[in-house]
Amino acid sequence: MSADKIVVSGFRHFFQSDSGPVQATGQIDLTIREGEVVTLVGPSGCGKTTLLKAIAGFIAPTEGEIRCDGRLVRAPGRDRGVVFQELAILPWRTVRRNIAHGLEIARVAKAERDKTVERLIGLMGLVGFEDRYPHELSGGMRQRVAVARTWAADPDVILMDEPFAAVDAMTRLTLQEELGRLCATTRKTVFFITHSVEEAVFLGDRVLVMTRRPGTIKATLDVPRHGKGGRDWDSFTGDPEMRAISEQVMHLVHAERV
Amino acid sequence: MGRFRDLRVLLPFGLTIAIWWGLKAGLDISDKLLVSPPRVWDAFVVLATRGILAEYVSTSLSMIGIATLISFGFGVPLGFAVGTNRYAARALEGFLRYLQGISGIAWLPLAILWSGFTHTTTLAIVIYTLIVPIVFNTMTGVRAIPENYILALRSLGASRLRIVTDVYFPGALPSIVVGTRLGMGYGWRALIASEMLVRQGGLGDLIFGARTFGQIDRIMVGMIVIGTLYIVVDRLLVQPVETMTLARWGVLRK
Ligand SMILES: Nc1ncnc2c1ncn2[C@@H]1O[C@H](COP(=O)(O)OP(=O)(O)OP(=O)(O)O)[C@@H](O)[C@H]1O
Ligand SMILES: [Mg+2]
Repeated sequence: MSADKIVVSGFRHFFQSDSGPVQATGQIDLTIREGEVVTLVGPSGCGKTTLLKAIAGFIAPTEGEIRCDGRLVRAPGRDRGVVFQELAILPWRTVRRNIAHGLEIARVAKAERDKTVERLIGLMGLVGFEDRYPHELSGGMRQRVAVARTWAADPDVILMDEPFAAVDAMTRLTLQEELGRLCATTRKTVFFITHSVEEAVFLGDRVLVMTRRPGTIKATLDVPRHGKGGRDWDSFTGDPEMRAISEQVMHLVHAERV
Repeated sequence: MGRFRDLRVLLPFGLTIAIWWGLKAGLDISDKLLVSPPRVWDAFVVLATRGILAEYVSTSLSMIGIATLISFGFGVPLGFAVGTNRYAARALEGFLRYLQGISGIAWLPLAILWSGFTHTTTLAIVIYTLIVPIVFNTMTGVRAIPENYILALRSLGASRLRIVTDVYFPGALPSIVVGTRLGMGYGWRALIASEMLVRQGGLGDLIFGARTFGQIDRIMVGMIVIGTLYIVVDRLLVQPVETMTLARWGVLRK
């Protein structure tokens, strides 16, 4: 049994708007253990991004508290990397310099920086594109750069907000497999938001389902993994157990349709 | 192809000179109202060879140069400060627009009362004219930067300074350059106008002084030089910088 990494307790969030406070989430209690991949599905507007931003430290919870390694989260930090849906790598930096950015900020020596960047460029299938600018890449490749940048900085926790939603379906399959391998080999704690039930079950050790806005967590499903290492779509789709879990999640999600 | 385009650019100039010359000769207009192109050329040669023109030109150019440096130095940080603060931006946006309605020239009476007929007065007018578009464009440039760029960097552990140097500055640079170029155009016009009233040198002084003596040829030399210098500075100095930054950093708003 590994240690608790992220503990969200009694969290509720309201945004201030011109017409008064808007409730973004219901009460959320959640524990993510070290090395666990937790995926979250829920209807649009239920508060998934709000929860992720609070864990990242971008917004202060209206109610409740969030702890990472037992310490209260007050601000963003290097221990919690974030991958957004889109528009997050810098267009004026090359692939290499985008990936190296976190290491530059942490003042990692150049030789070591280069080694890490080189390894991630290989892992993420970006070889040959090191010196290109983001606008010269496809949407899928840009997301690989974003993922690589976060991994290069070597945070304990990685928070991902629909990172593959803007990517075409074919590329998405590849990226999901790559991410699955990356998670399995690096044993990071991952919190992953998605709209896709299949993606949630494919990647998660645990799948959370949220209710519609103001969202609360209405169900938690464990996804047993047989064998170690990567997961691939061929064995996933052929596995009746996975299909059963997916169907279960699908029912839970459908009940929340707006 | 390029060569033909260059020629086409010159065509309106040639046409203007031809019409001017034709009107002068055809309607037999008095020298008190209009002089012929050769007379203007002669006046140009006299002013140029005696070093008079150089003196007026250098006064105007150094004024616009100094004003640009000062406006850039103060305008860009101010634009950052305002642009990164949502409340300040909202508060100041209307005010900046309002100020744009009061041209630099409209400040001249007050400026002359405060600092007299001096270079300081002119400099103040030109800086006022120049700095508003710089602040405004820096601010809009900063505000157009996607929030995710900043959030992502903060979670990579970036400090505020680091975010300014790595995100705000490169992200707003195309906009800053556009604002500076715009400001220099406005500033040049304000400069000439101010020089005409302040009369402490510069091309505005040259043409207004020539008027007192009815030296139409000098007035016209001055006007042609004013237009030429604007084009030369804008096209040979400022525009290449703009093209370069847009090519390098402008991908943001492709
Ligand atoms: N800055 C904000 N100001 C006011 N209301 C906001 C703000 N951000 C989000 N909201 C509101 O809070 C609720 C939850 O938003 P959130 O972005 O967390 O939803 P989500 O589950 O991520 O949705 P999606 O699946 O569409 O991304 C929504 O109703 C949204 O309109
Ligand atoms: Mg969202």
